[in-house]
Amino acid sequence: MTQTPEEIADGVLAGDIRSISRAITLVEDHNSLITGRKIIKSIYGMTGRAGIIGITGPPGVGKSTIIGNLASMLKGTGKKVAVIAIDASSPFTNGSFLGNRIRMQDKLYRDGIYMRSLSSRGSSGGLSRSTWDAVRVLDAAGYDRIIVETVGAGQADLDILGMAHTIAVALAPGLGDEIQAIKAGLMEIASIFIINKMDRDGAFMAMKDIEDSLALTPQNEWKIPVVGLNSINLDGYEELLAAIEKHLAYVRKSPLSAKKRFFNEVKAALMAESELRINALTESSMSGLTDLESDVRKKVDPYTVAEEISKSVLGDIA
Amino acid sequence: MAAGKNLSLFKDKPVKVLLAKPGIDGHDRGMFVLAKAFRDAGMDVLYAGLLPTPEEVVDTAINEDVDVIALSLLNGAHLVVFKKVADLMKKRGIDDIAIVGGGTIPDADKPKLEKLGITGNYGPGTPLKTIIEHIIMRAEEARSRKLGIA
Ligand SMILES: Nc1nc2c(ncn2[C@@H]2O[C@H](COP(=O)(O)OP(=O)(O)O)[C@@H](O)[C@H]2O)c(=O)[nH]1
Ligand SMILES: [Mg+2]
Repeated sequence: MTQTPEEIADGVLAGDIRSISRAITLVEDHNSLITGRKIIKSIYGMTGRAGIIGITGPPGVGKSTIIGNLASMLKGTGKKVAVIAIDASSPFTNGSFLGNRIRMQDKLYRDGIYMRSLSSRGSSGGLSRSTWDAVRVLDAAGYDRIIVETVGAGQADLDILGMAHTIAVALAPGLGDEIQAIKAGLMEIASIFIINKMDRDGAFMAMKDIEDSLALTPQNEWKIPVVGLNSINLDGYEELLAAIEKHLAYVRKSPLSAKKRFFNEVKAALMAESELRINALTESSMSGLTDLESDVRKKVDPYTVAEEISKSVLGDIA
Repeated sequence: MAAGKNLSLFKDKPVKVLLAKPGIDGHDRGMFVLAKAFRDAGMDVLYAGLLPTPEEVVDTAINEDVDVIALSLLNGAHLVVFKKVADLMKKRGIDDIAIVGGGTIPDADKPKLEKLGITGNYGPGTPLKTIIEHIIMRAEEARSRKLGIA
């Protein structure tokens, strides 16, 4: 079935699953950038209603398992829930095994929850752009809660999480020294800490470790809770659900955070836009920005030229 | 839009394939060999889990907007189960996701499956390369339908 971008956008707004899926395919494919953008532009006005929840943390701590349980519980409270999970792709073959789905699909099957796997290929700017767009599609389609699982490391992850209202950082006992580095990197962005696998040795120590570090970190109005989970018997999930809903309500009260989120949105769009334009540059179009011949003659270094060009558009770096 | 331009839309996007072994067959090892081979061939590979129902297979294929559903069975129930998946797809008007089959399929059944649009139907011992090439071919077909140039 072929649809025009307009038909797909209409389908998305009507909550039609096939249109939603196709729209995500188009925003995920960087060769369909123009079509994807058309769709996003026409649905953007209907976004902004969903509560967006990012779940991040190192591989193996139980993020996908948690999301399966959480999505199912949220659905039980009457919310329309969708999930996006990012899987790492092989840098060598570009292929990927989209394994996050496996950990949650029994719950998804049972509850009819929409879930989409994205693979982390290409540039980090590209990945965050397509993830943001996929979330926008689901938001405009009328989902109340959108849960995003990220790979748990790197700048791409932080860029993606910039769109979430609530970020839950998941950890588990047995991470060893790694936990210090993760804590350092994620302390500022976490709205909630999760210690999963409370059935395991060392879980209470891990919880205390995070609580102690939080006590030493200056916090704003929102006091970051540390929630212990046992994803086998579902201990702690009521507390997690309550913490998430409380944080969503807290964030959405603040006009400052709406502006900050929009700043993040524009920044991501700008990143995608500049990547596009830089890739489209030719010798002759670059000559409109700098005198290449004279630069070569005078042996000006490339960084100086790039700085001059960027400065004229984006200003000085503060 | 010109056909050539349309085809280039998805050119860097890996083939997305859903591996499924619906019904009453619990052997999973073969699936992981296939999954790994497909990934190493540069595909995005999904696995529908143990014993999904035909409805679950079709829902997953739609949610994930895959190019190809690869069905496999080893117990002779293929005709019934494969047909269910194909019927569901048809009922929902989906013609832009291809279905391929595999497993121990008697030669006599193959034309029936082909008639349902389920192609390949390779038995055990088929070289992975043959299977991969077939999936890529069917994926390209599905994609050109997605883009309306079939
Ligand atoms: N013992 C125990 N194992 C868990 C728990 N939650 C998840 N797991 C297991 O941890 C492994 C990794 O889970 P997964 O959800 O894939 O982690 P992810 O990589 O962070 O998404 C799986 O084998 C899960 O079954 C838990 O609360 N306790
Ligand atoms: Mg996972």
